[in-house]
Amino acid sequence: MSGKIADILISSFTKILLPGIRVTIPLTILAFILATVIALALALVQVAKVPVLSQIARIYIWIFRGTPLLVQLFIIFFGLPSLGVRLEAFPAAVIAFGMNLGAYNAETIRAAILGVPEGQFEAAALVGLTWWQTMIRVVLPQAFTIAFPPLFSSLIGLVKDTSLASAITVIELFTTAQQIAARTYQPFALYCEAGVIYLLFCTVLTWLQSWLEKKLVRRSPEND
Amino acid sequence: MIRVKNLHKSFGSNEVLKGIDFEVDNGEVIAVLGSSGSGKTTMLRCMSFLEKADQGEITFDEFHHDMVTISRRDIHKMRMHMGFVFQSFNLFANQTALENVTTGLTVARKIPKPQAQETAHEMLKKVGMEDRALYYPAQLSGGQQQRVAIARAIAANPRVVFFDEPTSALDPELTGEVLDVMKKLADEGTTMVIVTHEMQFARDVADKVVFMDGGSIIEQNGAKEFFESPQQERTLQFLRRSSKDYNYYI
Repeated sequence: MSGKIADILISSFTKILLPGIRVTIPLTILAFILATVIALALALVQVAKVPVLSQIARIYIWIFRGTPLLVQLFIIFFGLPSLGVRLEAFPAAVIAFGMNLGAYNAETIRAAILGVPEGQFEAAALVGLTWWQTMIRVVLPQAFTIAFPPLFSSLIGLVKDTSLASAITVIELFTTAQQIAARTYQPFALYCEAGVIYLLFCTVLTWLQSWLEKKLVRRSPEND
Repeated sequence: MIRVKNLHKSFGSNEVLKGIDFEVDNGEVIAVLGSSGSGKTTMLRCMSFLEKADQGEITFDEFHHDMVTISRRDIHKMRMHMGFVFQSFNLFANQTALENVTTGLTVARKIPKPQAQETAHEMLKKVGMEDRALYYPAQLSGGQQQRVAIARAIAANPRVVFFDEPTSALDPELTGEVLDVMKKLADEGTTMVIVTHEMQFARDVADKVVFMDGGSIIEQNGAKEFFESPQQERTLQFLRRSSKDYNYYI
């Protein structure tokens, strides 16, 4: 009996890992890029206190943090077609995850920008930099150092959240595990195996994080 | 030449500046003295638009503006000709000493990088920091940071440099190196407005001293006259308290 389970686990490992590499990882990366772009825009219009846009940003964040990710996924994939917007499952998932995480990371980035001392803004203004130049040359590089750990945590969270994409027919890591579990009647073993593969991805990311942080720290002047 | 007229500023119900008239001629070194809370730093910050005045007019060579209604663009234009040295240095933490000096040149003034770097090295040399060009601010001592900050402030050859208590955040043994650099600038004819508590320095280096108390300028005079024959009782009181060896009498 246990030998059979071992056979199933071994033969299913690559079958689950492959869609993990082909779908889960690209889905995570694309959604995270989208989230970063959205988050930066939401944070900047708020820091700059742009009229109207900063209010829109607040409302956006309120909605996307206040409703379940699964509901957002369903609205974008199942709901929008009735308004004439028909998306494939994969791009729908990228958009839903990106928009959702964008709302959370906007707050991280906004807090990081506000964490840069006021004197940096003042000094930049007095050497003649415009608001944009101040952001690009002085504030955002420092805010990035502050925001890096929480942003990376959100990336690791996203890897696991992409399993929700199975609910809108994206054939990713978890969907594949589900299919094999249904076929072999070994849900316990297969879901554990899926969990282990997610754990594997996240472990690699955790290593990557500490490696990158060391590089950041070396560049950052406080530690010399 | 800078002239500020009838400058008013309040923080809430606290009136910090009560109608200041202030003038700086080209090549002049002015020390602004006064006890804490007298409004000297606020005056400097209003003149550089870090604080918005409640009332007042400013004339800065060809510029003439109401300090309340002035546009962001006009502020930017005037700042291109101002240098500012902060009490807490405020060097860009993500940039090396060299980059701190070049950023204002390359980014704000579109000066080509090689030329800007040449100027920056020259400036760092002037403040004795050329061997620390590639250090980050946090790798430098307070005195070294302030010297780099001075190099940054003078790099674009401003018409006036404001110093806001440039040595107040420094250990006594580090103030000397910063004051030496400032003296050198003064000797070169740099127009400087220095808010300071360094009496001896003001006496040695300033052409003119402005004494503030309670949000007003109480007395202004040539540095020698100011220290040797103060006109106001309040000034004398201040001088006695701030320099122990003060021994002039009205």
